[in-house]
Amino acid sequence: MIWLTWRQHRKQAFYTVLGFVALAALLVPIGLSMRNTFSDLGLTDCVSQLARADVAQTTRETCEAGFQRFGSQYGSLNLVAVLLITLPALVGLFWGAPLVAREVEHGTHRFVWTQGVGRTRWALVKFGLVGAAVVILAAAYGLGMSWWVDPLTQAAYEGRLGMIVFDLQGIAPIGYTLFAVALGVFAGTVWKRMLPAMGITLAGFIGVRAAVEILARPHYQPARTQTFPIAGEGSPEISRGDWILTQGVRNPDGTMVAEDTRIQCPPGGKGPDGRVCGAELGLEPGAYNWQLYQPADRFWLFQGIETGIFVALAVLLLYLAVRRIRRIA
Amino acid sequence: MDMVLEADRLGKRYGSTWALRDCSLHLPAGRIAALVGPNGAGKSTLLHLAVGLLKPDAGAVRVFGRSPYGDTEGLADIGFVAQDTPLYRDFTASELVIAGGKLNKRWDATLARQRLAQLGIPPDKAVGKLSGGQRAQVALALALAKQPRLLLLDEPVASLDPLARREFLQSLMGSVAESGTTVLLSSHLLADLERVCDYLIVLNASQVQLTGAVDDLVAGHRQLVGPRHDGGAIGGVAAVIRASHTDRQSTLLVRTDGPVTDPAWTVREVSLEDVVLAYLADGTTQTSHSEWGVAA
Repeated sequence: MIWLTWRQHRKQAFYTVLGFVALAALLVPIGLSMRNTFSDLGLTDCVSQLARADVAQTTRETCEAGFQRFGSQYGSLNLVAVLLITLPALVGLFWGAPLVAREVEHGTHRFVWTQGVGRTRWALVKFGLVGAAVVILAAAYGLGMSWWVDPLTQAAYEGRLGMIVFDLQGIAPIGYTLFAVALGVFAGTVWKRMLPAMGITLAGFIGVRAAVEILARPHYQPARTQTFPIAGEGSPEISRGDWILTQGVRNPDGTMVAEDTRIQCPPGGKGPDGRVCGAELGLEPGAYNWQLYQPADRFWLFQGIETGIFVALAVLLLYLAVRRIRRIA
Repeated sequence: MDMVLEADRLGKRYGSTWALRDCSLHLPAGRIAALVGPNGAGKSTLLHLAVGLLKPDAGAVRVFGRSPYGDTEGLADIGFVAQDTPLYRDFTASELVIAGGKLNKRWDATLARQRLAQLGIPPDKAVGKLSGGQRAQVALALALAKQPRLLLLDEPVASLDPLARREFLQSLMGSVAESGTTVLLSSHLLADLERVCDYLIVLNASQVQLTGAVDDLVAGHRQLVGPRHDGGAIGGVAAVIRASHTDRQSTLLVRTDGPVTDPAWTVREVSLEDVVLAYLADGTTQTSHSEWGVAA
């Protein structure tokens, strides 16, 4: 069975690894130059200094300027990051969907399932081997991406918990890739043709990923709230790396006055019309900035939960696929 | 008599249509049986049920006394060549022999290699590039390498040219004659199998129309030609299978249960093909005037 699986998929495995290596050859130099610039701008220091509570105002301002320069130089790479997010889906399309559908489309399932091993064992060995290969690949991808995208995330306020960069690194890609493959396999057992199975896999993957990302992920842990006054010197203090879910300005009684914004006025500052700062927005004395956020140190916890959800979905889909395979003739 | 394959009111349904219904038959050991019926009669369904690819929706099927669905151990005794002889097209014949060895506990790779060498099949060419006849031979060699006690072949010669057909059947007969393997092979044409089979199962419209040893079937049917017949009983006739009439004369194909001695009838012997055609014609054609939107 192992020999058969290898013989059947070796060409595909070769091209997958080739593509992976080509991608690495492209991304590693970019990553290296990004890291060089990052340390040349002194941003490595900044990261450690900004993490301290007693950071001086001047340091903060120089660092912000540095991050801005870095961002304008490499910000376009965020687009590349978006493209890289599609890789798990591609693995699902080209490894998952054909696994059963191709056999049925070519009729070879009638050959292989009537040999001495039986189709349940056939399915388990195939899923196991392809799954193991996929886990290795996805782990390499996740770790590589963690390294590659790190300077970009450091430079961004959201940090690693932000959308897209969260999905790109750590262990979450393992969950996504396994899920994509399992979805492809399952779709192949239902539609039994490669192209429909691939189409369904793509649509299903996007749907589930988006739903989890938008609906579930912000609630993995109760979000924290933070408030700070609207009067203060310099630029507002924002803890880098926190994932801000919602923010706004509230009046002392708690009513939201202005959503998705924050206000900072110098102490005793006046608005354009001479009234107290923010009065034109309807702010009463004592109004404060408010934010609902997930703190940066929950990154690995969230990664674990996200991966767990997708691995569980993958296991469920593979179980259903094995059950369906017993009905295909 | 030892029964290799038994079906008892076996049925398989796809959605609301029965592909096979109330199918009861017995296949004794050591026979070369032809499973004959028009396209869509349920031949493949019956074979898939026998090899355990399908689960029966009604009744039961037993192969060597075991229910084949989900029975991995039982698979070792059954060789199966599916319709259009599906094989991994990018594998070479020699790789397929290796694959078979990995997939089966009992596997005679030497036998397979010898057969393929004898037939001049190139070992290192992808089987997708072989001719249809050669590919069928590879599939047969793989099925035989399992040393099965029952060999099921689904339309093995349908896609072959007449010469390849003959060669395929010859090599099949040559190998099962020695081992005493029971063979069940299907075709929509009796002519393909008439010379090799000694047992016959006729399927039509998802039901068994006729089953039995070829000799018995030929001996048990007669063609009667005589005066126009009105349906009354004739001595020695068990059933009229098919009747055609002109104004004054009737031609009947009948199943006999004794000698027909009535001098009014001229009794003729029939060929196997006559018998099969008579039973197949018995199934009425479903008209589809309403679907076509035309008048009946």
